[in-house]
Order: sequence, then structure tokens, then C-alpha cells
Amino acid sequence: MRALNIAATGMAAQNMRVEVISHNLANMSTTAYNARRAEFSDLHYQQVARPGTINSADGTVLPAGVQLGLGVRAAAVSMQVEQGTVTETGGSLDLAIEGMGYLEVTLPNGDPAYTRDGALKRNGDGLIVTSDGFGVVPDITIPEDVREISINADGEVYAYFDGQTEAQLLGQFTLTSFPNEKGLEALGSNLYRETEASGAANPGDPGEDGRGTFRQGYLENSSVDAVHEITGLIEAQRGYELNAKVITAADQMLAATVQIR
Amino acid sequence: MDLAVYVALTRQSGLAKELQSVANNIANLSTTGYRREGVVFAEEVRALPVEGGSVAMTEARARFTEELQGSLQETGGTYDLAIEGEGYFTVRTPAGERLTRAGAFAPNADGVLVNPDGHALLDEGGGEIVIPFEARNVGISADGTVSVDGAPAARIGLVAVEDRTRLFREAGVLFRAAGEVVPVEEGRVVQGFLEQSNVSPVTEMARMVEVQRAYEYGQRLLDQEDERIRLVVRTLGQQA
Repeated sequence: MRALNIAATGMAAQNMRVEVISHNLANMSTTAYNARRAEFSDLHYQQVARPGTINSADGTVLPAGVQLGLGVRAAAVSMQVEQGTVTETGGSLDLAIEGMGYLEVTLPNGDPAYTRDGALKRNGDGLIVTSDGFGVVPDITIPEDVREISINADGEVYAYFDGQTEAQLLGQFTLTSFPNEKGLEALGSNLYRETEASGAANPGDPGEDGRGTFRQGYLENSSVDAVHEITGLIEAQRGYELNAKVITAADQMLAATVQIR
Repeated sequence: MDLAVYVALTRQSGLAKELQSVANNIANLSTTGYRREGVVFAEEVRALPVEGGSVAMTEARARFTEELQGSLQETGGTYDLAIEGEGYFTVRTPAGERLTRAGAFAPNADGVLVNPDGHALLDEGGGEIVIPFEARNVGISADGTVSVDGAPAARIGLVAVEDRTRLFREAGVLFRAAGEVVPVEEGRVVQGFLEQSNVSPVTEMARMVEVQRAYEYGQRLLDQEDERIRLVVRTLGQQA
């Protein structure tokens, strides 16, 4: 009774869908989180009767044959790359990226990672870091006696000092774009790593070659749409139950067979 | 040998296959672009050596693919494409060109539009569609024209097969066309939507119950046959 195994693949798929949805809902308020979507694909087909099989002595052939599928598998869990809405925070080091691009940060082991979470902070040395304390590339240090910081759309960081009217340029943030953002490997903590699928990182000045721009005092919201996720959850749950029903039916048919003798 | 048992058995093995197709349809309830499959039974009639006698056995002889349009689900993805109406996308797999209705594409590391399995989507001329790296705005119109920042770059061709019975299923929501493939103009490409599986859970459940009951009837027939033969053996044995 192959139906048992086929329904089991269906249950596993719906289960995975619930996992993806719960992850999305859990990250409803995560800064710059992109919703994930589970994509499914059917499994191999079994040739019960090959098309073209000769059917009778006078040479008629079967036009279609019989192909029976063996269930479903997860093809991908892809990131939905879309601009989230922005919320005003007023923080001088809160940056929302409008358009494509990622901030590059350096992990403690020296490897680069990429993030769209622009809730930046200052560490004890005045260096601009992420919430987890990873340094942002390029290094920009804010002196202690700064009165105010202003970051423009191109990522240029200006500092105002007491007693000076002219702002002083401290440095400029870069944005990194990728040919295929969906191919980035998520590391957690809002960080991503370059992979073979994402293509080579392409750092450059904001606003150029399709890269986005910065907006100071704003943060990008999570792009999770709760209504969408809940309808998906209902579908997944019912789908799971339907597959379970098929298992029950197959089981009862087997039981009927066993009862004969 | 006793024929009734074998007639019932052919029916039951066919029903097991039909349940397999029901199970596959339900398992693919959430598979983008999946089309429902079904099994067609044919009877095989044989004349018996008695006057006017014949026996009919049943066998799964053919399959069909439901061509009904699946509902469209909004995803908002730039490269999520649904086909409204007739037609298939063409993708290039290592085994050759294949047709599909599953339109979840994305540019790969080289900017080539590919499906989740990495097979490239082909344009109407059979070439790959490359999205330039610096593209800001990619629009795909109803006739399949891909425009990058306002300038048309390629056109996704929709195709269909003339003889639908020559369309074979393959893993990965793909179809292999054994017959002639022709371009179609009726289908509309809808950007930002995905076509959901066209499996109707209610219909499948009804089919499942039907299969299950038919299987049980067969079982009852086998039981009765068993009882009948046992009775014959016992009665004849007593007389001997």
C-alpha cells in the first residue's frame, strides 16, 4: 500500500510549512526580517503501464499509459525579498536601507557577513557596531566629544562638535548588493553570508548601480504579513489532516485484507 | 480455477493504485503549479468456453491530468509568475526542455532566471533570461514581456502541446512533451502571483471514500467466495 508512504510525505511537507510559518510569525517584529516561504515539488513518477505499450495483436498502442506519483518533497524555503515598511525611531544611529543592499559587518572570526538591520550602536571605543557588537565595514569611529551625528542618504557620517559650525566628515558607509539575494545563507541574528548561489558580493556607494540609500532615524520593519501567514497556517493544518485521513483509509483497506483469513 | 476471486482481485489491485493517485494528489495540495492526476480503468473481456459466457476483468489502463486552472495566490514576488489560462513555461533541465506551470523563479548568481531546482526559464526563442545585476525595477507584462527599468529585455514564451495525452509527468512539477510543442497566445502571465495546486480536497476525499468502500465490497465478495468453496468442500467431503 504505497498510499501510506505517499500520505506520509504529504504530512511531512505540511509539517514543514507550519514550521516555516511559525518562524515567520515569531519574527513579526524582527528588524528587517524577510518572510520565508516553503516551496514544494512533486516526487518521481512510477510507470505502471508505459505509454506506447502494444495493446493488441493488430498493433494498437496505449496512448497515455499509467503514471503514478510518489508524493511530495520540499524544493526550497526561499526568502521573500521585499522592502519592509519603515518606522521612525529618532535614533541617530538607526538606519533604514531603502532599496537593495546590505551593510557589511565583520564577525569575530574575521569573516564578512551582511545585514539589513540598521540598529547600530557605539561601542566603548566609539566604533560603530551592530546590536551584537560586530564592527560595521568600513570602520567609523565617533569621537567622544561629538554633539550630534548626521548620516545622509549616501551613508556619509558627519559629526558636529561644540563650538564649531561646520560638520566634520567621519566616513561613509557602503552598501553591498548580490546578484541573487535569495541565495544568501541566513546565519541568525539578522546576518547573512555570501554563498555560491548568491553570487559575489558587490560593495559600493549607496545610490549607485541599483543600490539603495539610507534613512537616518528609521528602522526597517519585518516584512511578515500576519494575515497571509494565518491563512497559510489554516491551509497547512487542513492539508495535514487530509493526509492523515488518507493514511487512515489505507490502513482500513489493509485491515480488510488482513481480515480475510 | 475459481474465476470470481480473480475478477475481484483485479479490481482491488486497481483500487490500490487509485488510492495511490488520491494520496499523491493530497500530498501535493500545496505544490505550486501541480495538476491533479487520475487513473482510468478499462475492462478486459474474455469469452468463456460456455455458450454466451464471458468474463470482464478490470485494469488501470490510462491516466489523465486535470487541466483546470488552479487558484492564484498573491505573493508579491517580482519573479513569481502565474499563468492565467492555457500554456506552460519552458525550462531547460539536464535531460532536455520540460514544461511547467510552477512559476516561482529567481535570478541565480549569474542573473539567469531559474526555478527552485536551478533549471533556467527560457524565452520564446529558447534562450535564457538574464536579469542585469544593476536592475532596479523588473516588470513582467501579461504577454510575458520582461522589462528591465522600463526597457523590454526578453519575452517569456508560453507553449502548449497539441496532443495532451502525449504530456508525461516528471518529478519537480515538470511535464515532458513527447509531441509537437506550439506557442500559445491565449495564456496571460501574472506577475507577483503563483498558481496553486488544482487539487480539490473535497473531490479527493469523496474519491477516497469511494475507493475505500469499493475495496471493502471486493473484500466481502472474496469472503463469500471463500465461504462458498469451504461449504462445497465440506459437503462433498461428507458425502464421500
